[in-house]
Amino acid sequence: MELVAIFISAILINNFVLYYFLGICPFLGVSKKIDSAFSMGLAVTFVMTITAVVSWVINHWILIPHELDYLKIVSFILVIASLVQLVEMFIRKISPPLYQALGIYLPLITTNCAIMGLALLAALRDYGFVEAVIFGFGSGLGFTLAIIIMAGIREQLDLAEVPEPLKGAVIALIVAGILALAFNGFIGMIK
Amino acid sequence: MKLSVRMVVVLTSIGLLSGSFLATVGHLTKERIALNKQREIEEAIIQVIPGTVSTQKLYEERDLSVYGGKDEQGTVIGFAIHASGIGFQDRITLMLGTNTSLERTNRLAILDQKETPGLGAKITDAESFLQYWENRDCSGAISLRKPAARSAEELLPSEINTITGATISSEAVLGIVNSSLEHTRRLLKEGKLSSEAQDVN
Amino acid sequence: MSTKTIGQEFIKGLWDENPVFRQLLGLCPTLAVTGAVINGLAMGLATTFVLIFSSLVVSSIKKLIPSQVRIASYIIIIATFVTVADRFLAAFFPPISKNLGPYVPLIVVNCIILGRQEAFSSKNTVWRSLIDALGMSAGFVLAMLVLSAIREILGAGTFLGYQVMGAWFEPWIIMILPPGAFITLGILLALALHIEHRTKSRK
Repeated sequence: MELVAIFISAILINNFVLYYFLGICPFLGVSKKIDSAFSMGLAVTFVMTITAVVSWVINHWILIPHELDYLKIVSFILVIASLVQLVEMFIRKISPPLYQALGIYLPLITTNCAIMGLALLAALRDYGFVEAVIFGFGSGLGFTLAIIIMAGIREQLDLAEVPEPLKGAVIALIVAGILALAFNGFIGMIK
Repeated sequence: MKLSVRMVVVLTSIGLLSGSFLATVGHLTKERIALNKQREIEEAIIQVIPGTVSTQKLYEERDLSVYGGKDEQGTVIGFAIHASGIGFQDRITLMLGTNTSLERTNRLAILDQKETPGLGAKITDAESFLQYWENRDCSGAISLRKPAARSAEELLPSEINTITGATISSEAVLGIVNSSLEHTRRLLKEGKLSSEAQDVN
Repeated sequence: MSTKTIGQEFIKGLWDENPVFRQLLGLCPTLAVTGAVINGLAMGLATTFVLIFSSLVVSSIKKLIPSQVRIASYIIIIATFVTVADRFLAAFFPPISKNLGPYVPLIVVNCIILGRQEAFSSKNTVWRSLIDALGMSAGFVLAMLVLSAIREILGAGTFLGYQVMGAWFEPWIIMILPPGAFITLGILLALALHIEHRTKSRK
């Protein structure tokens, strides 16, 4: 039950973009077309799930037993940066079509605060291993959902007449605000 | 120097310098941070068991700890149950004070919540919510009065007034309290809450 | 190398190159912690601390770092100062540290900081980098203050916790919730664009 609650709330209630404001850069930057938004979401979900596993292992096997809490930020950011590099090389070797689809998005993820935020939140809430993985996967799906809806709206917006000062990032932020408002409706789903 | 060697040397030395600098910072702040956490818990215990002079941790597991509040003679005068659970938006963490037989509540304090400001966040408000938790009969499950009663006198001894417009947050708090009370009662029966058992310090 | 005067170097961060309003950098903390002025201010100051010290260190050792490993080196340096800020807040200001939660450690991925190292400190003198960091930080703090003041006053009727609106005022709760953050920032950006547009067309 607790696991289902973590999963659902990571996707809908405490959505990474719309509630925690993590991953705003790709959310605004890569949400002009549904196709690229979908690939970005896929890449983020993939890296988030792996990050949840790796950061849990580092935190519980290295940092906590040796009381190295003060190295948490440094080690998480370095691990995430090298992880993304590894994933990129791995995908290029294993599946060139997948690399074609995700390739250019992977380097963007390194500086994506959503990944770092995921590692930090899972550590802060003291999640167990399975919980952390579910949380990572759910958060990735939540990000994907938000960015795809956003891209869907922005594709329609291209056909609308937006006033000059509101073009670009401004209208995207206002749409995100309305989307966040809509997602507020999910609050209280889990009891 | 060859480039690759220089790269390794530079990265290693930056890493080492940063590591040793952080070790110093970590060492200097460690005690104070631990003290801050302990003080927060202790203040909450004193708040929910009036008359507490010293405290002792009696039981601990994930999402539930039980503390004993002691008077000047060192006798346990009440239990403080530190529990957390899912609320309307995010987790709610609370501290409930009870008497030593777990039959009457003392006071309730909300330590951490992210409910909607102005609505669900009223669970931290004494006038609209917390006052109803004082001196309730908790020998069985506590229940909510919906719709809210106009005055505290109308409530049954085991009833709590609902916050108008924030039923789910009120229910969430009630749920955490009831399940942690039941759990603590089981622990008490099994004799896991005696203060002598761990009275080493 | 930058050829601006020292004064221009500082002023550019406030408006012309304001990290939030003009460059759209560091939006995560800008949106996340501006529900109350005290949180926005604390976040602004913590970021200032990290940016200034990272710029000082990077600009003084820039010649030693081979360009292939420069990003990794910058990240370690930034993460070090972020940890210092995080521990300092947890030790001496526990309530603020609790309010800001994971957003203090997240300064490490704030694009403003890495961006300034890559674009400025790695190419300019220590003195110029300090001025640049000061200007950018001032611009960031300014943005945090404006956004959090609007949100706190309209959303709670208070400023820094003091009641500023009369009893007649019914707080717009939505302003301190996530949707209010997005919409307020959107409107402020539109204003910034509009002002920029008008000053340009006048020239």
